[in-house]
Amino acid sequence: MSEDTSKLGIGTDEWVAQHEKRLQRRSGALGIVDLLNQRVSNKVRYSALGVAAIVFGLFVHNLYLLRIASNLGVFLMMTLGINIVMGFAGLLDLGFVAFYGFGAYAYALTSSSQLNQHWPTYLSVPAIVIATAFLGYLVSLPSRRLFGDYLAIVTLFFGQIFIQLVLSSDSITFPGHTDSTDITGGSNGIPGLDPFKLFGRAFKSTSDYYWLLLIVITLLLIAVVRVNRTRVGRAWRTVREDPLASQSMGIKVNNLKTLAFVVGAAIAGLAGAIFAGIQSAVFINGFDIPLLTLIYAAVILGGSGSIPGSIIGAFVMSVLPEILRVQNYSEFLFLAVLVITIGVIGKNWKKLAINIVSLIAIGYFVKALFSLSHMTTTPTKTWAIAPVSKALQYWLVLPANRIVWGNMAFIALVALVAYYSIAHEKIKPWLLPIIAYIAIFVWEDRLVADASTTRQLIIGAMLVVMMIVRPQGFLGKTRVEVL
Amino acid sequence: MGYLGQQLVNGLTLGGIYALIALGYSLVYGVLQILNFAHGDVYMVGAFIGYFVEIALGGPSHTKVPVPVMIFIMFAVSMIGTGLLGIVIERFAYRPLRKSSRIAPLISALGVSILLQNAALLLFSANIRTYDTSSFIPSTAGFSIGSVNIDSVRFAVLILAMLLMFTLSKWVNKTQVGRAMRAIAVDRDAAVMMGIDIDRVIRWTFFVGAALAGAAGVMNGLLLRGVSNGMGFIPGLKGFTAAVIGGIGSIPGAMAGGLLLGVVESLTQGYLSTNFSDFYTFILLIAVMLLRPNGLFGKKAIVKA
Amino acid sequence: MTPLLTLEEVDTYYGAIHILQKVSLHVNEGELVCLLGGNACGKSTTLKTALGMVSPKVGKITFAGEDVTKKNTSHRVKMGIAVVPENRRLFGPMTVLENLKIGAYVRGEADPVDLERVFELFPKLKDRQSQLAGTLSGGEQQMVAVGRALMSRPRLLLMDEPSMGLSPRLVEQSFEMIAGLHAQGISMLVVEQNANMALSVADRGYVLQTGRIVLEGAAGDLAGHDELRRAYLGR
Repeated sequence: MSEDTSKLGIGTDEWVAQHEKRLQRRSGALGIVDLLNQRVSNKVRYSALGVAAIVFGLFVHNLYLLRIASNLGVFLMMTLGINIVMGFAGLLDLGFVAFYGFGAYAYALTSSSQLNQHWPTYLSVPAIVIATAFLGYLVSLPSRRLFGDYLAIVTLFFGQIFIQLVLSSDSITFPGHTDSTDITGGSNGIPGLDPFKLFGRAFKSTSDYYWLLLIVITLLLIAVVRVNRTRVGRAWRTVREDPLASQSMGIKVNNLKTLAFVVGAAIAGLAGAIFAGIQSAVFINGFDIPLLTLIYAAVILGGSGSIPGSIIGAFVMSVLPEILRVQNYSEFLFLAVLVITIGVIGKNWKKLAINIVSLIAIGYFVKALFSLSHMTTTPTKTWAIAPVSKALQYWLVLPANRIVWGNMAFIALVALVAYYSIAHEKIKPWLLPIIAYIAIFVWEDRLVADASTTRQLIIGAMLVVMMIVRPQGFLGKTRVEVL
Repeated sequence: MGYLGQQLVNGLTLGGIYALIALGYSLVYGVLQILNFAHGDVYMVGAFIGYFVEIALGGPSHTKVPVPVMIFIMFAVSMIGTGLLGIVIERFAYRPLRKSSRIAPLISALGVSILLQNAALLLFSANIRTYDTSSFIPSTAGFSIGSVNIDSVRFAVLILAMLLMFTLSKWVNKTQVGRAMRAIAVDRDAAVMMGIDIDRVIRWTFFVGAALAGAAGVMNGLLLRGVSNGMGFIPGLKGFTAAVIGGIGSIPGAMAGGLLLGVVESLTQGYLSTNFSDFYTFILLIAVMLLRPNGLFGKKAIVKA
Repeated sequence: MTPLLTLEEVDTYYGAIHILQKVSLHVNEGELVCLLGGNACGKSTTLKTALGMVSPKVGKITFAGEDVTKKNTSHRVKMGIAVVPENRRLFGPMTVLENLKIGAYVRGEADPVDLERVFELFPKLKDRQSQLAGTLSGGEQQMVAVGRALMSRPRLLLMDEPSMGLSPRLVEQSFEMIAGLHAQGISMLVVEQNANMALSVADRGYVLQTGRIVLEGAAGDLAGHDELRRAYLGR
């Protein structure tokens, strides 16, 4: 709001009315995203997505791709669930993955030889959903009076307890028995689960689950969109925006919060059961913090409270790790992201060109320094063969001891980025190419080889930066408030 | 009787560590009303710093300096290092969010926690390291009261924890910065009107809270526990639990809560089951939240000493 | 006589809402100036602007000859502005003594001489110094609030609605105290709704109405002014 009202020559009220629009009109690449976003209606978008999903299911028979798609489906269910809990009702539920795990283990226990239970799917899945919902209700109880921060930590703790319970329930001695019973299989998990049996057929292939997920997600989406328009949906948003005011309007704030929490837990439970069916086995390490952060990153990236945002976030966060797993792609991907980032920050093409030219210059300069000082570098390629890698080889330094150099550069990178955020506006343009160079160095020399750590680092950094720069996410409109 | 006494001593030592972590949560919560999720990871960094100082001074069995001096340097460097880390975290992850919604700092803190854990993983690998205390302080050293053996490391840790808590109380009560901190916790705007430089006091708060966590990390290492990148998670949760039990924002509450939690954990491990001790801690947390949501000692969100 | 505090053509906004519009005022050394006005007319905002808790969009603020427009509150308090906030805003769970010491924050540790001075002014507080400030009566709290402000050895004392929430008898006492402080040579800017009371002790006064100064003059002139009554009655 740097404009002075009097200079605009319009009344203050009009000026206030335009305030929202002005905030949204952004320059650079992000502006284009906004524009595209406004042109197409939601109905068109959802239908296009649905058609794409059906086409994919009909024509793609590659097992690997179907696996990824099914995992994406499960992931999407969870982001939609989180979206209700955090996006609509404004609660930070960090035990969400535990409900997911609970659903998976509940399915495993009722559909395997572990406890010799082989319930029909029509019985086990609804029972699991109800049980998870009830568990969610129990967990939300102690935090009712103090939601917010407390709920976050209590649920986080709950998630940890779930993991410990599962891990140590492989030798439980019941009173009156002398021998111990193995309930959860401990760290070995439970293999050999029955497949789902629905619509008169046993689910043999991943493709069956794909269609099931498609149906479930469609129903879920319809439900979520509908609910969002009903009284409950409106009330949720009111509660999120201003709990105190809602309370005074006669809205039962606590009940609504609990409802959101319970619904979220139920969705997670269902997702867990389906996931267990797909994998036909359950292992506890799939239900830990890394998955949790991935889901939250997806929802926050897309925009908490925005359903399209959740979908896009889920796409990015569940497909991205697959890409990072392949070195060839990850080497390329980073450069692309980096160029885009510089473009967005630079905002105009001239600056972008200057940045890229100086970036290239720095590369050759450092390379020259290294060869002058006779530092040992690995002369032959150690990268996967790809055009990008080959091109990089002539430009980027590859020290012999890449771990040590990579670590030092990583520390330098963190320090520089931190400094950049508080540096004077005049220094910033100078720093940018240097940071970019070190980032490329760290990425190609150190991070590419360590995909899972890298993924977590990116997510962590993204959460912090996102909260500072754009807390509502890319597609979110409102700010989410927890009370 | 001897067994019970032993468990109590172990519990108090453990509780001292929890209390130091809990203090960090409470101090920060009192001043900013945010939960510093990354606090457990600061504790982890503290343990790592202690480890590398030990290596730099010649390693566990060939120290270049007398053992007490080495331990002192380990604590000093670790506390200063984590204290500075605390300031950096506040500056970059929390200060830009001071005027934003309540959920933003929580998520930002979650991000910092993930960042710290994985940066440590990247830099130090997943190897579990130990201080190997027994090679410079023989585990037989110590003394007995009746049938209760107190080995000297345990004793030193307990005494040091008490000393740090005592110093903290004095600091909060008797210095202008400490008073200003409490004043901000009561009424931030009024504190600003008195000319208190909020940013400076918040920096101090983070420094002190993080330094205490760093000390706790070194203590954990000295007690022969492993040092690794994920070690901060559970103690972080326990520290938070201790802070809630005592009443979040209350300094004596955090101390008492930590000690109580340590004793409860030690007793459940000794008499019930080792596997489920965290489960009992969780039950204790839930019970306190249901029965006394403001904690056993706390008035809500007021730092008092 | 050089003015101690000046506000020159200050414009202040809360978000998009225009609060103060070209407000200019000054307080001379040793003067007691009162700022009068009804509810929500910008009195408190004026004080906050002088103190640096609200920054003006346009305009200049000087204190003791120095331009402090861009300086934060801490700096201004250090230079010698102290405030007795609306509703006193004591630190309730802290003792009286601690409250007083907080007042001396910008001076480092509290000076025993200043403490003695406050206890001389308010002998009652000496007996109550280890009592929690929140447990005191309204009048005693007022004493602590004033004492706390004096602990920083201010050159200018800002008072925000000193009569608010006090019984009529205490209001009278409160203004006696203000007059007493004034007699000791402390410069003051007092914001009040109770115009009669404020004008009875002030040297000069300003009247603020919906963010603008509509009237100013010597306290005696203002007290008999017709427009003052009108200013309070309507827009």
